[in-house]
Amino acid sequence: MIKFLFKGIWRDSTRSKFPIIIVAIGVVFTVTITALLTGVFSDMIDMNARFSTGHVKVSTLGYSENASQNPLDMALLDVDSIIENLTEQFPGMEWVPRINFGGLMDLSDENGETRGQGTATGQAYDLLSKDSKEVDRLNLEGALREGSLPTKSGEALVSQKFAEKAKLKIGDEITFFGSTMYGSMSFQNFTVSGLISFGNPALDRSGFIIDITDARQMLDMQDGATELLGYFEDNKYDDKQANVIKSGFNKTATDSTNEFSSVMLTLKDQNDLRSLISFADNMQQIMIGVFVLAMSIVLWNVGLLGGLRRYKEFGVRLALGESKGAIFRKLLIEACLIGLIGSIVGTLLALAIVYPLQEYGFDISGLLPETAMMIPSVYRAIITPSTFYLGFIPGILAMVLGQALSGIGIYKRETSKLFKELEV
Amino acid sequence: MEEIISIKNVVKRFPVGDGFFTALQDINLEFKKGEFAGLVGPSGSGKTTLLNIIGSLDTPTEGEAIVIGKDISKLSHQQSADLRNHNVGFIFQEYHLLPVYTVYENVEFALLLQNIGAAERKKAVMEALDWVGLTHKKDSKPDKLSGGESQRVAVARAIVKRPAILLADEPSANLDAENAHNIMKVMKKLNEELDTTFIFSTHDEKVMQYLDRIVHLKDGRIEKDEMMKAKYGVHGAH
Ligand SMILES: Nc1ncnc2c1ncn2[C@@H]1O[C@H](COP(=O)(O)OP(=O)(O)OP(=O)(O)O)[C@@H](O)[C@H]1O
Ligand SMILES: [Mg+2]
Repeated sequence: MIKFLFKGIWRDSTRSKFPIIIVAIGVVFTVTITALLTGVFSDMIDMNARFSTGHVKVSTLGYSENASQNPLDMALLDVDSIIENLTEQFPGMEWVPRINFGGLMDLSDENGETRGQGTATGQAYDLLSKDSKEVDRLNLEGALREGSLPTKSGEALVSQKFAEKAKLKIGDEITFFGSTMYGSMSFQNFTVSGLISFGNPALDRSGFIIDITDARQMLDMQDGATELLGYFEDNKYDDKQANVIKSGFNKTATDSTNEFSSVMLTLKDQNDLRSLISFADNMQQIMIGVFVLAMSIVLWNVGLLGGLRRYKEFGVRLALGESKGAIFRKLLIEACLIGLIGSIVGTLLALAIVYPLQEYGFDISGLLPETAMMIPSVYRAIITPSTFYLGFIPGILAMVLGQALSGIGIYKRETSKLFKELEV
Repeated sequence: MEEIISIKNVVKRFPVGDGFFTALQDINLEFKKGEFAGLVGPSGSGKTTLLNIIGSLDTPTEGEAIVIGKDISKLSHQQSADLRNHNVGFIFQEYHLLPVYTVYENVEFALLLQNIGAAERKKAVMEALDWVGLTHKKDSKPDKLSGGESQRVAVARAIVKRPAILLADEPSANLDAENAHNIMKVMKKLNEELDTTFIFSTHDEKVMQYLDRIVHLKDGRIEKDEMMKAKYGVHGAH
């Protein structure tokens, strides 16, 4: 019987073409937008993880509460032994120390006279150790616009934007003024080895990147770090796992009365990511809901128009001994088939759109507002397993709903009235 | 001869505006198995209304219509659908073939509704097409058929499930003389071979010639009920 219905759908293109097109369009939108949202948000998570939050992050309680002010006096000390403990407790994770700091940047001319000054925030990463993955993680090679990455102590990367404003060139000397973690004055000279630009306002705001050993020396924090970032082995954020690690660590390490005790946060605990991610999830659900509703209404009306045309057919089928209920059920089966065809067509089309978006993405860096949020500047879609089935939910649901609504007319009409359609 | 349809004191009223229109009044009729009978009367006399009640597509307002032992008024939707599915075939003036399906599939449809297996289905469909002489058109679509051919497909579709009763509402109205005679001969043959009860509704003299019995309706009442033995011999004599 299904085969029989399928033949009917296949051959009666006026009956099925339009619904299939509508379903396909809806599915294309749902799947494309979902894949894009998934892509953008996972890029966003990835970017945050790499540059700012880690998958989990350890700092002192005091530091984590005032992180935006970079309170160096709240830095972690004895970092090596902390890492050792963490590695033992949570095997497979990688832990990297970082230092965020702020201060004044002073530029001098050939004669050593100050020709400009500005506030600068800096980041210190492990750039020089042989087995450090930080250069890759931060994509510094990719962000390098001129010059080279630091190869030895005393070299610094400066943001291209800052360098343009200050007319800095590769090889120029800059002096950084700040205070040590114990509050005394410190300054240090660096040679500009390269200019970088991440193409992202949030990342490019920071002036200046140096190796962590230089920073430790300059800020007088031997074996210290403002934060310790933990990364999963497969480099994918896993919220459940992160929370297990977090509570395992905090149970013994955190003492709420001691601001120097350490505390661990998950990625979602930071940068408002939890609400952003749940916002994205809600958006996706609302969007699918809206599509189902809108498509259902259109398909309902299409079904009504088609239904009028089909009352004659229903009359014949009643005469042949089909009950109204059976006709209605078969209408729903037909709707499932049409929804299925439309969803397959729509999903294939969507994949054709999404695939290049996954491979190449589209660059919105020109459109990006000056925001503190870490939003990727290249929108990339991601094809996940759900890309292949997600469209079928709104596709089939909308078609069945639309058909059910329009098919109720059969129930409302008396058998003899339906049958009357057969008379001329 | 066993009684297959029994209609007692049937009245049918349709709501019209504030009141009612009485389409059938005091109908008392019996049909025996294997009859080849017709309802004849002017337009609006209630022929179709009566056929619909017999086919359980409609119910009487008053009185009783018993078809193959079942009281039409008391059947549920499903039961009346089952009655039509297994025991009643319909033929219409307008053929009403399903346009997207081939001749074969149109005939097969009736059997699909009965969940009959593929092999048995095929045998029955080919046999039915053979009766009406259309095996060579089995893969054609209805829009490629002439009126006469279409009506023969409709006959095959009605007869393929071997119903006890076949109801034909003005089957010849859209056919020329030759095709009208053709279709009547086919049906007469089926009546004789399968002992199917045929009830026609018609104005057509050509149809009437073949009937064994003519029930004359006028304004919803039976005017005359005549046996036509003289012309074609005593019905059921075989
Ligand atoms: N559903 C209905 N509602 C109201 N009136 C109806 C309905 N069905 C039939 N009638 C009326 O009942 C009367 C009998 O109709 P019916 O269709 O049985 O006539 P008929 O003898 O088949 O006529 P024809 O030869 O034109 O087909 C007509 O006057 C018709 O208008
Ligand atoms: Mg009529």
